[in-house]
Amino acid sequence: MSPWLRKTEWHAVASWTWDAQDETCGICRMPFDGCCPDCKLPGDDCPLIWGACNHSFHLHCILKWVNSQTSQAHCPMCRREWQFKE
Amino acid sequence: MTTSSPSTRKGLTKIATNRLQKEFMEWQTNPPGGFNHRVSDNLQRWIIEVNGAPGTLYANETYQLQVEFPEHYPMEAPQVIFQQPAPLHPHIYSNGHICLDVLYDSWSPAMRLSSICLSILSMLSSSAVKQRPKDNDHYLKNCKNGRSPKETRWRFHDDKV
Repeated sequence: MSPWLRKTEWHAVASWTWDAQDETCGICRMPFDGCCPDCKLPGDDCPLIWGACNHSFHLHCILKWVNSQTSQAHCPMCRREWQFKE
Repeated sequence: MTTSSPSTRKGLTKIATNRLQKEFMEWQTNPPGGFNHRVSDNLQRWIIEVNGAPGTLYANETYQLQVEFPEHYPMEAPQVIFQQPAPLHPHIYSNGHICLDVLYDSWSPAMRLSSICLSILSMLSSSAVKQRPKDNDHYLKNCKNGRSPKETRWRFHDDKV
């Protein structure tokens, strides 16, 4: 190290993204790196969820859709029966 | 000071407002071909102009679609009807109601108004005859007092037009 410079402190910076195929939620159309319109902060409080068909949505968005259906709900993207991925 | 009374129609949820603002922006910059959005400040009720596609029975004809978005859009489909006069078509009733599955049972929250519009244009374009549905009079009798087409139990049986 140069005699003129000495490190006294350092700050670690990290970033994260969800590992989803799409960049936006097909239901609310908000980016997955953000949160659904009902939340303020992305991350653990507004998680993503995957279906058995591998399509992903904000948990809050897909729950609103599933709960609004009187019979079996279908995936909004591929119309297969919606099952949460195990 | 008095405040204005709230509208009788139920307001939109946050997710509905958010999505409609996005769809509105998309319509401003990139509307689906053959459609014009008549500008208004009402996010919940849109009037859309439809131009019949060239080379089809509806070429050079213009119709108006009236679109009402429900409180819980997009978990619920918008209500889409033709204003008078509705195009003469085997799946369009004279009161403007449209027999089209994506408006009712086959709606998905991943669809948007522009995808519905394209379905309607394709339905018009593939028509070979200009006539009303066979049960038009019967349907109108059961549909008095401006009932919404969303209350109708639709049967979808013709996938050609």
